[in-house]
Amino acid sequence: MIEQKIKIVNNAGLHTRPAATIVKLASKYKCEFFLNKDGLHINGKSIIGVMTLAAEKGSEIVLSFDGDDEELAAKEIIDYFNRGFDEM
Amino acid sequence: MKIDEKNITKKNSITVEFFYNSIKERFKVKLLSDQVGFEREIKDQNLHRPGLPLAGFLELFSYSRVQVFGNTEMRYLRNLNKSERIKSLETIFKYDIPCLVITNNNKPTPEMTELANAHKIPVFGSVYSSTKLIYLVSDFLDDQLSPRLSMHGSFVDVYGVGMLFVGKSGIGKSEVALDLVERGHRLVADDVVIFTKKGEGILMGSGTDLVKHFMELRGIGIIDVRSMFGVRAIRYQKRLEVIIELEIWNENSEYTRTGLDSQTISVMDVEIPYVKLPIIPGKNITVISEVMALNYLLKHYGYDAAMVLQDRITMKIQQKSKEINRSIDYFEHDFE
Repeated sequence: MIEQKIKIVNNAGLHTRPAATIVKLASKYKCEFFLNKDGLHINGKSIIGVMTLAAEKGSEIVLSFDGDDEELAAKEIIDYFNRGFDEM
Repeated sequence: MKIDEKNITKKNSITVEFFYNSIKERFKVKLLSDQVGFEREIKDQNLHRPGLPLAGFLELFSYSRVQVFGNTEMRYLRNLNKSERIKSLETIFKYDIPCLVITNNNKPTPEMTELANAHKIPVFGSVYSSTKLIYLVSDFLDDQLSPRLSMHGSFVDVYGVGMLFVGKSGIGKSEVALDLVERGHRLVADDVVIFTKKGEGILMGSGTDLVKHFMELRGIGIIDVRSMFGVRAIRYQKRLEVIIELEIWNENSEYTRTGLDSQTISVMDVEIPYVKLPIIPGKNITVISEVMALNYLLKHYGYDAAMVLQDRITMKIQQKSKEINRSIDYFEHDFE
């Protein structure tokens, strides 16, 4: 189980396009992937869920990965968050 | 299936500002003082009528609660002369009171508004009687200060039974929900469901305000169940009554056969009936869900099929004759 707190860094926040990309990235892996913010517990493989967060710039989300390929998944997804969803 | 305790959140307090904005229209509450002390916090769901503290008895004064001034309190204050009234009010305004609500359309005396403004304690007024207002407000506060749990799943009202479908991503929860909606049942929320503990032993679930009745279907994308199927296909809230976990058929997993040994799962200390349902070709999960809902209702109304059959078998065993008879004594002349 890997847990990491990340910050949204791009101006537009976690909108539809990045949400779809995150779900696409997460679905490649077998491990479970959850996002936690303000008491919401979101399955990272579901697009509606990720969009529900409506996370704005500067907000913090705790990502958790659990399963066989968790390290690979964590690396790729955390990297995508840190790149500001390729919008910077 | 495990419920992760860390997904449970609980507000410890709400601000008077949030309190006022939430109840002003719902419970016809007006602001009678200046807009002061709106940052004060309400931590307790109960309300308090400060009759004795006004009379000077301050032991066990529940000052941290919302203070309700009903006919009795207001009549008492009016019967005092001006200086006594100021003294009486000042004694209780010295405490850290979140706010006052004056009921029965009573008006505050001028000194009361002045003192409340000076102490930065907001005063609200309501047309409702004290009993009614206390009932409504404590229900509202109970809801706000209750623990909440966010879960991943699809929540549907099937014949009036609140059924939550959980399981791994992509197993087909949304598809089952959609199928149930097609058959005339009502969707509460898909994907993210927030449960709130209401009183003891009741969990109420609803979707999030942002997503409401939107749903994602693999291969189609996002659909809005409300616009597509109309208002009959949705509802905003429902009590959670059964949890169904969908999983790919697993040889090592044990599935209920008789229904005598019903399982439950503890969600925020409430025991909820729980069924693990294997997905195998030829199995119609939608119809099975409907049957489960009907069986739940039958049990609720006092008929448990598994128990009835068990009793019959026990009786048969105790009887001398061990012959297994047809369910009908003899076939009448009906050869159809």
